[in-house]
Amino acid sequence: MKNRRTIFVCQGTGCQSGGSADVYQALQNEISKLKLDDVKVDFSGCHGFCEQGPNVVVEPDGIFYTHVQAEDAKDIAEQHMKNGKPVERLFYTDPATGKPEAEYSKINFYAKQQRITMRNCGHINPESIDDSIESGGYSALGKALKMTPQAVINEMKKSGLAGRGGAGYPTYLKWQACHDADGDTKYVICNADEGDPGSYMDRSILEADPHAVVEGMAIAAYAMGASQGYVFARAEYQLAIARLSIAIEQAKQKGFLGLNIQGSKFNFDIEIKEGAGAFVCGEETALIASIESKRGMPTAKPPYPSESGLDGKPTIVNNVKTLATVSAIIDQGGDWYADIGTDDSKGTAVFALSGKVANSGLVEVPMGTPISTIVNDIGGGIPHGRQLKAVHTGGPAGGPIPARYADTPIDYGALKQLGSIIGPTVEVLDDNTCMVELARYFISFNQTESCGKCSACRLGTRQMLAILTRITQGQGRESDIDMLLDLARTVSETSLCGLGKSSPNVVLSTLKYFRAEYEAHIREHKCNAAACEAMMVAPCQHTCPTGINIPKYIAHVADGDYLACVDTIRERNPLPAICGRVCNHPCESRCKRGELDEPLAIRQLKRWAADEYFDNIDKIADPEPFPVTSNKKVAVVGAGPSGLTCAYFLAKAGYAVTIFEAQAFGGGMLAAAIPEFRLPNSVIDKEVDYIRKCGVEIKFNTPINADYTIDDVKKDGYSAVYIATGLPMSRKINVPGEDESIDGFYSGLTFLKGANLGEITDVGDRVIVIGGGNVAIDCARAAIRLGAGHVQLSCLESREEMPAHDEEIEEAIAEGIAIDCSCGPKQVVNDGKKVKGMEFVRCTAVFNEEGRFAPTFDEDDKKIVEADTVILAVGQGPDMSIIPAEGDIERQPNGRLVIDSNTLALTQKGVFAGGDFVFGPAMAIDAIGAGRRASISIDKYLTGDKSPVVMQDTKADVEILEAKEEAESDNEADEEWVPESRPETPELPLKDRVNNFNETELVFSEAQALKEATRCLRCDLEG
Amino acid sequence: MVNAPPVDINQIKKIINDYKDSQWPVMPMVEHIQDEIGYIPPQTIPMIAKAVGLFPSQVQSIVTFHDQLYTEPRGKNVVRVCRGTACHVRGGKAILKSIKGRLGLEDGQTSEDFEYTLETVSCMGMCAVAPNMTVGKNIYGNMNLSKVDKVFKKSEG
Repeated sequence: MKNRRTIFVCQGTGCQSGGSADVYQALQNEISKLKLDDVKVDFSGCHGFCEQGPNVVVEPDGIFYTHVQAEDAKDIAEQHMKNGKPVERLFYTDPATGKPEAEYSKINFYAKQQRITMRNCGHINPESIDDSIESGGYSALGKALKMTPQAVINEMKKSGLAGRGGAGYPTYLKWQACHDADGDTKYVICNADEGDPGSYMDRSILEADPHAVVEGMAIAAYAMGASQGYVFARAEYQLAIARLSIAIEQAKQKGFLGLNIQGSKFNFDIEIKEGAGAFVCGEETALIASIESKRGMPTAKPPYPSESGLDGKPTIVNNVKTLATVSAIIDQGGDWYADIGTDDSKGTAVFALSGKVANSGLVEVPMGTPISTIVNDIGGGIPHGRQLKAVHTGGPAGGPIPARYADTPIDYGALKQLGSIIGPTVEVLDDNTCMVELARYFISFNQTESCGKCSACRLGTRQMLAILTRITQGQGRESDIDMLLDLARTVSETSLCGLGKSSPNVVLSTLKYFRAEYEAHIREHKCNAAACEAMMVAPCQHTCPTGINIPKYIAHVADGDYLACVDTIRERNPLPAICGRVCNHPCESRCKRGELDEPLAIRQLKRWAADEYFDNIDKIADPEPFPVTSNKKVAVVGAGPSGLTCAYFLAKAGYAVTIFEAQAFGGGMLAAAIPEFRLPNSVIDKEVDYIRKCGVEIKFNTPINADYTIDDVKKDGYSAVYIATGLPMSRKINVPGEDESIDGFYSGLTFLKGANLGEITDVGDRVIVIGGGNVAIDCARAAIRLGAGHVQLSCLESREEMPAHDEEIEEAIAEGIAIDCSCGPKQVVNDGKKVKGMEFVRCTAVFNEEGRFAPTFDEDDKKIVEADTVILAVGQGPDMSIIPAEGDIERQPNGRLVIDSNTLALTQKGVFAGGDFVFGPAMAIDAIGAGRRASISIDKYLTGDKSPVVMQDTKADVEILEAKEEAESDNEADEEWVPESRPETPELPLKDRVNNFNETELVFSEAQALKEATRCLRCDLEG
Repeated sequence: MVNAPPVDINQIKKIINDYKDSQWPVMPMVEHIQDEIGYIPPQTIPMIAKAVGLFPSQVQSIVTFHDQLYTEPRGKNVVRVCRGTACHVRGGKAILKSIKGRLGLEDGQTSEDFEYTLETVSCMGMCAVAPNMTVGKNIYGNMNLSKVDKVFKKSEG
């Protein structure tokens, strides 16, 4: 093999399913055609990167080819092997950078791994014992045979190797117990009954390096005095069984198995036993029962198998991964192995990485590697711009670890503390994964695989499954969570084996970390991840806080019917033009199209329709005011998005509605705080005007306060009041110089309002904005438009931690705003009249270990930045003066109002509240959603309906369905589906943005809009 | 309806004889019978029991414990669709739905002409190329609906 080049074609199961057998054949043909005598075409086992398969590696160059097909053989042979020019189009593409990478060792997926257990996987021919010997195989056995058995066990003890199956029991303890046990007949069993969904390390190792397992078994047998070994393998693993059989045969021929191994007195032989489909047989006592041809049920321990196992004889059961590691340890010494990893977890962890991650495959890293390294560096991050939600380790026996613990090191102790185990699998979950559904999936697996011996496990898993199933179908009951906890604890405490004890882990963990999701399913029939199909029509609609029938309005856009589109939006949301501009579009994050290429540009399509509508408003008849059919009047406090929405829907329901607004204009914070270049006031005026024409009365300049209280409103004949006054107060940070009487110092809201109304026109040359949120970004972008030469945004957070939306931050940077992170404001430097600058200290951490806001500073690391204007935009608070301190509107100990989250009712009868005022800073669409909820709730209150508020998703009407189905059937005729990206959002060129407040984001053309709308997959038509 | 092929009792007797004196004979015996016949015919249970010195109910309990030991005749082509986590996430449900429709079979059923048996499995260990299915010993990864068409055209043609 040396001095010649070898082309290794992967012949693992994954690559074979992609046609690697044909690739192997084709390469042999091409190389022999070219008579390249120095090139050998060989095959290897699994590289652990099957999703890139079929894989081909050229050694010694270390070139890694991906997705190779038989047609590519010619190019590899001619271009690479003959002319020395590797074939670039077959290189691996890094998902993060998009750049091709030729060399195996430089691909991030491999570069960050340390492979000990899988040291030979992919690098040798698994059916050649000579290849194995050349790579160091069987040298450890030779070494062990010269040691005493006790010395071998001592070396294992030094290494700290613990069972790699998941439980983490020290390997040497099993060996020692078996060594010390009386009796001449002892057994070594290799557990290859790998049944956890998502794991395939055992299969890969057996397929790629079976000799490592044979050698490990022989060393174990020598250490404890066994002469017979068994490998218990899943029947599905035919290729692994075949390769292992070859390896056993070859080892016998070479004298590594059989009688008098390597001239010693040690005899050992191995036989393969096939399982017949029972997950519980992975448990060691069940496995032993199965080999003995009994029902594969676990038995109580003690006695442990090391005392009384197979046929009542001392037996050890070790996992494939454990045994494959043994020879490396004996070869290089226990101390060497113990140096890798952490204090309580030695060596490497081996697992299958899968789920919502760019690179999935087999991973081996030192114990103690942080989860984030595994997800981001090796896994290449989460595709489609989605967010990490949790990492599920341990398969059906483990639990999800929430994203906030992503820095947790992978080791036995740390994961146990978080309610999981070191898994055979690390499954990455993004924000589109429903945790209740995840629990249901694993419990369903555990229920099916329960052997039935212990009634708690047999019946408990069935009951848990029934409860979880009904929750995911929107039929959960209020008592279900307590019942689940009760069942989970009972099953865990009263089951005999690991399967039963650990099967409730997933329920306990999801309830511990994601209880709110359970509650949303049960109380609101809402699945945050938009994954529980029984509860929704389409994911986008289900995710929209107002529940707009998005698929229906997209279908109207596809028809070019903007009138019908706006009507559809107004069924749930009366502010289409506003939301078309400023909505943070949670719908797009759940769009199924996003899993194929890119999510639909839902917000932009809404904007297109709304703009068309208002551009043509002259041709459209004014709306008739909604007829008043009720004799009850309703008051709404605040004409912001929430108040306007609530008033609109109450008017639609037949009530006479009056909005009391403190300012002289409508729109609330949308008008006061969102700069003109993002949301022109003219757009707000048109929407407010429409709502007034529908019959809503708005009293401007009419604040509700101590002079005219809520009680006064009620006395004036209003039967119900909805308070939605938002967060009009700027938060303070209590540093010297924080005083709005000083010239050049503004709070964020004062500044934005002044800029919007044209009251502030000069900010000088240098401006500092303090804050990292969207309001701060808006301030900075407004300042640059007022002629500032240099605008700097200084925030506590690091760039990744900044709460502002990424797209907003990028826009700001593009416009020339400097972002200075990790700055703790110390004082506003001034001469008593005028701002001179700002003093900062360095912020060392914003959040504490629990993830709470608790900034720490390095007081020695100071700096002063000169400025003409300082704008403090670090958050806003509610104006609580509207709620009388005395009275029957109750508050929580933390000062917040006591509110029913379903009905939005406060503790005083007939008084409701919503939006940012009660729930803190959120998005416009959340406030609109609360307004709609309040309108339903108030209607129920006024008609005496005591049932809870349900905001049901609605299905499109039949007419559109039919039109769309025709289009669908046309599509199905297409053989292959072609990816198509969404159009870029048109924007005002950067050079046109200075010194004016013109809108920066432009609208799609009609052609763009209509075409984009056809990308909709119409999830609402399924099922 | 085509009847299941008749069972050759002598063939079964021979297999039972081959294993009856080995250590722990029942599992290898029934696995071998299934390899040859395709399933474990009910009439063989008392024969096995007698040969190994167990009650028929004990043999029956071993056979029924294992998901992959079958007591009814099965199709020539066993179609297995993976319902593991990775396959679930990547659209295995739609693959199963399409095959169910195509074969007119539910999970666990065998067609009347004994051509096909449809099954689901928890995980095939090929998650990186999910969703997966197998027909007999042939493995198919990265499945989609048009590939399902091709797979069945191949096995029909």
